[in-house]
Parts: sequence; C-alpha cells; structure tokens
Amino acid sequence: MRPILLSGHERALTQVKYNPDGDLIFSVSKDHVVCAWFSHNGERFGTYHGHQGALWTVDVDPHSKLLATGGADNTMRLWEVDTGKLLKTWEFGSSIKRVEFSPDGTQLLGVTEKRAGHLSTIVVYEINPDPAAEQTSEQSLRIVCDESKATVAGFSYLARYIIAGHEDGSVSQYDAKDGELIYNVRAHDADLQVTDLQWAPDRTYCITSSKDKTAKIIDAGTLEVLKTYVTDTPLNSAAITPIKDYVILGGGQAAMDVTTTSARQGKFEARFYHKIFQEEIGRVRGHFGPLNYVAVHPQGTGYCSGGEDGYVRVHHFDKAYFDFLYEVEREQAQANL
Amino acid sequence: QDLAKKNTANRQVVEQRRRLLQEWLGWRESMIEMLKEEGAEIELNGGKIRSEDDEGAEEIE
Repeated sequence: MRPILLSGHERALTQVKYNPDGDLIFSVSKDHVVCAWFSHNGERFGTYHGHQGALWTVDVDPHSKLLATGGADNTMRLWEVDTGKLLKTWEFGSSIKRVEFSPDGTQLLGVTEKRAGHLSTIVVYEINPDPAAEQTSEQSLRIVCDESKATVAGFSYLARYIIAGHEDGSVSQYDAKDGELIYNVRAHDADLQVTDLQWAPDRTYCITSSKDKTAKIIDAGTLEVLKTYVTDTPLNSAAITPIKDYVILGGGQAAMDVTTTSARQGKFEARFYHKIFQEEIGRVRGHFGPLNYVAVHPQGTGYCSGGEDGYVRVHHFDKAYFDFLYEVEREQAQANL
Repeated sequence: QDLAKKNTANRQVVEQRRRLLQEWLGWRESMIEMLKEEGAEIELNGGKIRSEDDEGAEEIE
C-alpha cells in the first residue's frame, strides 16, 4: 500500500502520536498548530489552536478524550480531543519539551527546558480523566534535573518509575511517588543527547535514541541496556513494534551539518531492525529531511513518521512485513504448535 | 573447503540467534510473571485500558 502523505503543516514536525485505538494520529509542529488526522485515509479530523510558539510535544490519554501538548510558549496545555476545547493551561518559566500520560491516564508529566534562571525539571500533575472536570494547578511532584537537563521522560509500568533521558547521554530512573533518583546510567555516548524514549506496550522496557547514532532497549526496572542498534546517522526517534519483534529508527543529519555529498546520499530513511537480533532488515525512503519522530500503530499494523520537511508519512504494513521470519523464529513458532 | 568454512560460520550465526531468542523469551516470561504478581491489568492488556462494556473485565486498583 502506498504511504499517505499528511500535508497540513507549514513547518517541521516535532512529534506524532497514535491514539490507543490507532484510528487517529496527532501531530505537532514548529508552526504552532496541533493537528488530528484519521490514520486510515489521512483526512483531517481537527486542529487545536491556542499555542503561541513552536510545539515540541503531544500525547493523548488512554481514553482518547484528553490531549496534552507543550511548546516554546512555555505552556503545557490540555485539550478535549473531540471538540478542540482548551481545558487547562499550565505556565512555566521555560519551554515544555515532552509531555506523557501515565498508563492509566490519571497523571501527566512534563519536561521543562533549562534556561537562564530556570532549572530543567520533570513535573507531574494528577489528571481527572473527565473532560468536563476542573483540572488542578498543583504539581503532585517536581523533580529537578541539576546534573544534566532532561530531554525526554515517561512513566514505566504501573507508573512506578519515571525514566528520563538526558542531554549528557545518560538515562535516569526516579521513584514516581517521591521523585527520588534511584539509578543513573551512562546509556549513550557522553554529551550526545538522548533524543527520544518510547515504551513497549507493557512498559517493562523502553527504547532510547541518541545523537550518538545508536538506539538502545533498556529494562525499566534495572536500567540494564538489553539491546543496541548501531546506525550511521544521528537518531531523533525510535519506536518498538507490537506483533513483530522489530524496532523502527528515524534520524538524519540536520541541514546545517550536511555537506552536499552526504545530502545526496540521503539518510532520511526509517530503518527497521530486528529487535532481538539487532540486525538491520529494511529501510523506507520518502522524507526530504531528517525524520524527527516515528510512531507505531498500537495494534502494530503500520507506522507514521514526522519529518523536518513538514510532512507526516503514514505507512500501512504489507503482508511481507508480517510474514518475514528468521529461521530460528520459524523453529520457535513450530515448537510452540 | 571454502564451503565448509562458510557452513561453520552460518551455523555459528544461527546458534547465536537461537541463544538470543531463548534469552529474550525467557526474560519476557519473567516480566509477564512479575506484572501478574503486581496485578498490572493495563500492562498485561498491551497497554490498553479495558472499557466498561468489556465482558468479564475486572478492575484491580
């Protein structure tokens, strides 16, 4: 099936997200607008207006009722998915780089940027899942990342831990109840920032991507690096596919770092690796610039990528994708019959 | 002789993959056990919250 091109944004995409049913895709861009799209045909479902700056991040709650966004206007906002109504605005002293709901949707975290006079923090709010309810202005938790600023963060299984990636390439585990730092591990190369952190469906492990050109699978409980995927380009994003044991990586040199030669070679491809064997198994071309984010359909039937080129490309996996098995996987499948 | 060498190399690659697969499946099994002990309903349902009209769904707080 040909990919669907979503061309409603005027500037670079920064994050794309499926809702839990996978019928909607939410996208945010430097153009200040939040868009929602039908994933099966690419028609626009709606837009969410109000932010006054570039948007960095978006997440949808597990009931597909609430949408959280954050951006360069120093606000984190909560919207009603169906009506586009702005429900709540939380203001900060610096940009919001990442938002994420807890697995049950009752908590929302935000990562704030470090700026003169402002420390990098991870803040948590209790969320009432009812769109008609009043939302709190009180933070239930505030973690200060003074060692190295946090770039990404999310909730583990049972919202037990908050796992964060940092500018210095390290990954931290915090107790999500009291904010205490439990572990910090040097998961990626020093001073090459962690650019993305996405979860396995059961949140017992996550994948991180980095400017160090690798992605890693990390055990959420122990922070042990379980798998490493080595590429030849700085990575902006990494996602884990359900059903098949693959991971999808996206990145590419930023325009200002690209020499004419490497631009021609083009590294603006989504790369598929086998999750367990850590070998590259395929690439998908299409974008004219770096891939800033890749997201996988929650049922594992497709993926979408948001590019520096301003487009979202939506792909539905074909039969060959599902049929592909390594010999040892086939053996294993037969042994289980 | 070249063929024999190649076969040995291939066999080693396959052995390595078999080992990685078993190791991964073993770890996954232990994680699922852990989630069951914790009563992690949403996590065991692939991250999806069971809706109210799902039959036989039980809420664990």
